[in-house]
Amino acid sequence: MAQKVEFKGKVFEVDEDGFIQSFDQWCPEWVEFVKQSEGIEELTEGHWKVIHMLQDYYQKHGIAPMVRILTKVTGYKLKEIYELFPSGPGKGACKMAGLPKPTGCV
Amino acid sequence: MLVIIVPGGVMTEKSIQVNVEKIREILDKNNGARIRTWLSICSRCGLCAESCLFYLANDRNPRFAPAYKVQRTLGTIYKKKGKVTPEFLMECYDIAWGECTTCKRCSLFCPFGIDIASMISLVRTICYSQGLVPEGLARTLPNYEKFGNQMAVSKEDLIETCEWMVEEAADYVKGVTIPLDVAGARYMYTINPREVMFYPQDLGMAAQIFTVAGESWTIPTSGWDSTNLAMFAGANELAGTVADRMYKKALELGVEAILITECGHAMRSAGYEGPYLAGYRNGRPPVPVVHSVQLFYEYLRDGKIQIDPAKRIDAPVTYQDPCNVSRNAGLWEQGREILKFVCNDFRDMSPNRHYNHCCGGGGGFIPMGGPFRKRRLRAGRVKAEQIRKTGAKIVVTPCHNCYDQLNDLNKEYDLGVRIVSLKELLVETMIVPDHLRPDSAGDERQEG
Repeated sequence: MAQKVEFKGKVFEVDEDGFIQSFDQWCPEWVEFVKQSEGIEELTEGHWKVIHMLQDYYQKHGIAPMVRILTKVTGYKLKEIYELFPSGPGKGACKMAGLPKPTGCV
Repeated sequence: MLVIIVPGGVMTEKSIQVNVEKIREILDKNNGARIRTWLSICSRCGLCAESCLFYLANDRNPRFAPAYKVQRTLGTIYKKKGKVTPEFLMECYDIAWGECTTCKRCSLFCPFGIDIASMISLVRTICYSQGLVPEGLARTLPNYEKFGNQMAVSKEDLIETCEWMVEEAADYVKGVTIPLDVAGARYMYTINPREVMFYPQDLGMAAQIFTVAGESWTIPTSGWDSTNLAMFAGANELAGTVADRMYKKALELGVEAILITECGHAMRSAGYEGPYLAGYRNGRPPVPVVHSVQLFYEYLRDGKIQIDPAKRIDAPVTYQDPCNVSRNAGLWEQGREILKFVCNDFRDMSPNRHYNHCCGGGGGFIPMGGPFRKRRLRAGRVKAEQIRKTGAKIVVTPCHNCYDQLNDLNKEYDLGVRIVSLKELLVETMIVPDHLRPDSAGDERQEG
């Protein structure tokens, strides 16, 4: 069951895995809220670039892109994505961008 | 009121229509005599209770004893000849998916060798036939049907990711390739779609290892997904199709064997349940199936891969036996042998090898996702305590679901360990021979 969390005046419904319940609830404060548990000290332009790309793709296709597409569009190498999001593109970056947890063995 | 979320929405006891005919059909088809014998010879001795991680992690509540779980579900279904209520089916759903990872540890302790996990799997099949299946598993089923893999990866996506990983891996090993659809290769390497979607470095690392070992291998562009979540969903017909797709591709390419990535349940499917699901009556896969842990061990044993003594790992290391690789496929020494080559301080958990406890992430628990998370982490307490007792700083496991579960346990129980696959360890420590060293190579190895 979803839990409600409050941060900087915003309320988020969060599932058991810590993903927000629906994409519509996403706002920049969410990223602020999650960054610490994702091991990110300071948000940089790089984080936002990845987050916005994931959101654009999700809005168009209804699923998260595979990493190859993410690296191609943003121009980052795989290693750089992991430096930005230590828990990886599927769990860390998608969670911050407000996407649902990917389907399957992840 | 218990609520079950399935892809079509929410199911409650009011929305379930029990199809008794269908249940009877399944009971009749699935070795009725064998199962009836098992159910009747179980003497309720209780030896299975202490073997079960759910029982141990839930304060030895007898409700979690394997014999109870199977008598309560399948035993009752038999007694009532399939005439059960919606409420009862929901209880079956809860037990079959939420209180058992089908790890088969209990069978080792049963004086009669009763295969309780197979009976729990049958309960899953019965639930599935009535529309009851965890959403996280159900969502993968149309992907297997339409795309031939659990994550809806297209052929183009697979090819492009392989090409990309060749480019990246070339920084470390000269001439590295990922050969696609090569007929007559020795091994057809089958993978988990997560490697394409989110962990492409796994493909890059595999390519480096195979190139250094001089292996003849290929990734097929169909039948490449060796996972089988249909098997854990109880969707037996689809599970058979999924396994057979891979066998047929291997026969078409004329390879010597199907090689399985570092995934536990892929071995269970390809190696020993898939043949039955796909209708091979002798129970054997039509092409031999080899798990990565076996091949990597052979590389080290035969000197095809050599470890740089200066890079051997000093930190204490332990090994997580995936149930479906160690206990259920008999491959428990190979992982340990590999670690003898790679580490200076190996510490086994207790119990270990075929007696090892499931991590709590098996049987579909990881893909079952959020609704089952709390129970998964609770069941994992047994594993967390085992790891902590070793004092290890690195936990090695050749299974993706173990890997994810251990990472979650690491956070939940504050273990302070690093979880790695065998590939990661090999790539970090192996010697890249001079003729394969990229011209401008430094000593820096990749991470992640």
